[in-house]
Amino acid sequence: MLPSRDLVRLTIATAAAATLAVWSLAARPSAAPAPAARPVATAPAAAAQSAGEYVGEATCLTCHDTQDYKGTAHALTTNPRSPRSTHGCESCHGPGKAHVEGDGDATKIVNLSKVAPQRASETCVTCHDRKTHALWAGSQHDQRNLSCLTCHSVHSPKGPSQLKAATEPQLCATCHKNVVNKQQHRFSHMPVREGKMQCSSCHNPHGSTNTKLLKTGTTVDEACSSCHAEKRGPYLWEHAPVANACVTCHDPHGTNNERMLVAKVPFLCQRCHVTSRHPPTVYDNFVLKNSTNGNKVAGRGCVVCHQQIHGSNAPSGKAFLR
Amino acid sequence: MRIGLTFTAGALLLACAGAAGAQEAAAADGPTLLGLRGTIDFGARGTSTDGDAARYERYRDLRSGVFSRIVLGQETNQRMIRIRVNNAGYRDQFYGVDYNGGRSKISGFFDSIPLNYSYLTSTPWVEGPAGVFSLSPAARLAVQTKTPGVVGVPLTVADLATPSIYRSLAHSIDLQSKRETLGASFMHNATSALGFDLSFNSVKKSGNQPYGASFSFNNANELPIPLDNRTNNMAAGVEYATSRGMVRVGWDASWFDNQIHEIVWDNPLRATDTTPFDPSGYSNGNGPARGRMAMPPSNSMNVLSTTGLYKLPSHTTLSGTVSFVAMNQNDALIPWTINPVIANAGVYATFPGLASLPRATAEARVHGLNAAFNFTSRPNNVFGLNMRYRFNDHKNLTPVFDAREYVRFDAVPEETGGETEHFNIRQNTMDLTGTFHLMKNTSLNLGYIYDDFNRTGRAYSNMTDHTLRASVDTVGTQYLTMRATYDHTARIGSGFSEASIEDGGAQPGLRYYDESDRDRNRGSLLFVLSPASVVDVTLQLSAARDIYKGEGHDFGLLNNNNRSYNVGASYMPIDRVSIGANYGRDIYKSLQSSRNANPPCALNVPPCAAGTYDSWNDPNRTWFLNNDERVNNMDVYLDILKAIPNTDVRISYDFSDSDNAFLHSGPRIQELLTNTALTAGDTKPCATGLTSCFEALPHVTNSWHRTSADVRYFFTKKIGLAGTYWYEKFDVSDYATIDLTPGTPRIDYLGSITLGYGNRPYSGSTGMLRLLFSF
Repeated sequence: MLPSRDLVRLTIATAAAATLAVWSLAARPSAAPAPAARPVATAPAAAAQSAGEYVGEATCLTCHDTQDYKGTAHALTTNPRSPRSTHGCESCHGPGKAHVEGDGDATKIVNLSKVAPQRASETCVTCHDRKTHALWAGSQHDQRNLSCLTCHSVHSPKGPSQLKAATEPQLCATCHKNVVNKQQHRFSHMPVREGKMQCSSCHNPHGSTNTKLLKTGTTVDEACSSCHAEKRGPYLWEHAPVANACVTCHDPHGTNNERMLVAKVPFLCQRCHVTSRHPPTVYDNFVLKNSTNGNKVAGRGCVVCHQQIHGSNAPSGKAFLR
Repeated sequence: MRIGLTFTAGALLLACAGAAGAQEAAAADGPTLLGLRGTIDFGARGTSTDGDAARYERYRDLRSGVFSRIVLGQETNQRMIRIRVNNAGYRDQFYGVDYNGGRSKISGFFDSIPLNYSYLTSTPWVEGPAGVFSLSPAARLAVQTKTPGVVGVPLTVADLATPSIYRSLAHSIDLQSKRETLGASFMHNATSALGFDLSFNSVKKSGNQPYGASFSFNNANELPIPLDNRTNNMAAGVEYATSRGMVRVGWDASWFDNQIHEIVWDNPLRATDTTPFDPSGYSNGNGPARGRMAMPPSNSMNVLSTTGLYKLPSHTTLSGTVSFVAMNQNDALIPWTINPVIANAGVYATFPGLASLPRATAEARVHGLNAAFNFTSRPNNVFGLNMRYRFNDHKNLTPVFDAREYVRFDAVPEETGGETEHFNIRQNTMDLTGTFHLMKNTSLNLGYIYDDFNRTGRAYSNMTDHTLRASVDTVGTQYLTMRATYDHTARIGSGFSEASIEDGGAQPGLRYYDESDRDRNRGSLLFVLSPASVVDVTLQLSAARDIYKGEGHDFGLLNNNNRSYNVGASYMPIDRVSIGANYGRDIYKSLQSSRNANPPCALNVPPCAAGTYDSWNDPNRTWFLNNDERVNNMDVYLDILKAIPNTDVRISYDFSDSDNAFLHSGPRIQELLTNTALTAGDTKPCATGLTSCFEALPHVTNSWHRTSADVRYFFTKKIGLAGTYWYEKFDVSDYATIDLTPGTPRIDYLGSITLGYGNRPYSGSTGMLRLLFSF
């Protein structure tokens, strides 16, 4: 059991954090940082003060007629938080009066592709601050100087979710080509190359409560068993690495071994099972061709007998044989 | 049926399009209609395959017939609707609808994903009631009574010359399964700050999958076990967010329900139970007439979580999440054995523990408590700080199950079992990273991670990873993006129990690689050079080396050494033409050590006499395996979009090959190779008459090619014709696949009756001719 002192600490910390958050959210009027503006959340006085600095979207489109965003969620007037419902282009680029009066002086308008990545992201998370985006700040990608605009394009997207590439694997391959190669080229792979899964089926690139930006659960095995619930157990007989992390034996990005195993059986099993008799036997081509022990080299290898390798619910399931 | 479904889906979507048009005319006073968008891509498909067609399809259904891919969306300034249909009527069909009304979003989908194992497999077992597999009684009796000329499971090389009696009884079976998911989600923002979300999906798995089903060392078989299970998942949450922060409370639940509780199957070597039971029945095949095993149990998982985020001054954010997890599994347990020769009062007199089960159901449950807190601050343009703390506690509360007396392989009652042992894991992680913006566009991250694991049931009760990490990122310049990272992790264990290793029957020098002391060094480098706006050159290098070490570490995985190189370029000579290529090479090496030995003399009853040869402690029985895989990857593409009037052309080629070597070495290999005993007292390892009994395994190699071409010609802006052609070829040489000759694979091999499933070559081509309607 969790020691009571740990439980008490966690409970106190959680309660304190929740109290602080609720108190702060309820008590403090918001002061939305420039340039982004969210009228419904902006103090009336501040809104009135800055209203005169806005020129309106029609003025912007006079010159930037190819930079519209109609047809996207940003253009929905029914969402009170959308740019269309607030200050149009100036919701993200800031008030444009100085820019217009300066004959289009580029230094007098916010160009998010020119500012520091974290500053660009701060503008986006003014609105995209919940659900899958809530934990962006400090996430792995945020720390490595990626911004929302590294992957997304508001004005000229090529793929779904306003991605800069036609598909997620194409986009992710920009930095993770060695990983995407596995999904696309290994014969044992998840259905990514067939288009039935994508990187975001398992990962949330915007930050997560799990390791490796896994989007579900708080441990690797919780993420895997969100789809492979039959492996979840808990079983009567457990296999230690299964209870810890599926990636001890599997590479979910793909391998050239059956079932995406990180090495071929029986050799994968022999990395841990150095006992007596049949587990540490030298399984070579001679055994394969001359002995009934060949059934431990061919086909399923060890798991032809130890078939319940993820755990067994049989009373006689010791060694995962039943 | 498929054609009907496809046409129905198409008609419905066209009707939607018509309705949308009508709405456009009536929209003067309503929302501003931005138009109907999308594509109806509809036509005929033909597929031809040679060899392992299932591997060609794998997660797809490429049968010849009607093809459909439809995406239709309608947008106003008040709402967006999108409907998607893919491959209607086939095993990989997908239907989806999304509605975004600004404040509310609703989505629904049905997705079917096949997993095609093999269409070449066959089995002599016949499935009656779900999960019950029978074999011809006459054939089994002929095998049991050793009828001259009859081979059941081949037990000698000579047996291989005679087809097993079961080969003639085998019937072919398309080995495939299917995962069908029906899901819906709803999100609503009641106010700009308060939102709710609710989602549900139900996943049904059906079909068959290859599965082991063994009776003894020389009688290990494979069955096409049925799949019939459903997982229902539900999630609900409420969020309150302002510009200062966010609080979310959520509930996630999952229920897995398996309709196949157990598998019962006939023994190919026995028509009747061996009476009385043979104490060596688990190794010589003199076992029961039938076996029984438990299938994955129905179970549930519930997670309650709360997440909060609070923005402080100076670009500082504090976030945290706490969740409580409850996993339960209480399936009825199957009996100790199906074998009536063992399940009777006579045996219970000797093995009283087998008279009844300690409890009727599993009573298995796990509680988890997980928390993560994150503090991020960027007070100025020079320095940033990120601190993260994670806590995971996985506590298995399942009562111990006494199985010291149990039944091995349904063949033999034994006292060599044990009590169940469940694994508890508590992890504390602290991650501290400082970011320094040294110059414009370049930042340096320096970090330290403390990762501590406390576990029960393992050789080390505690292990701690200390990681030092550095990364440099140069971004935002027109000409260069550079990312480099290096980290070094030292894993140090404590609370080591050699007795824990030896209790499991393992060599005391074994260290499990998921807990042993380890040095890990990893690095990666990414360069993207853009000398001109139309050219990109990319270079990616990554390497990782693990060295497993520590005092007394002699056996198990000793090291891992992986490297990956990728170089690519893309060129856009004009706006409408792009060409690109990438070449990658991956190298995976690992070294492991083992000892081919019998149980130590100390365990013998009576103990060995003094001076007796003891293979357990003989270093000349030690062997090593060096696994060395080298993989090449290449992809090339050419896109010509409207450079030729009204025409889009896309051509691509993908290639991968792999060469996986298994290099055995060490004194034991020398002994086998020369049939000598290097240690006095040991016996020669090979059978009489042989001068050698070691033969290196052949390399496992494969190569995969895929070529695709897609040409679209638009007669008008909205109507076009498309032709697509794919060709794939896979060649493989794998010692684990016994019979690579074309046709139905052999199912009878030494010590096994299998399905003939394995890695086999294929080639396949698919052509499509389609009409395109663009909106």
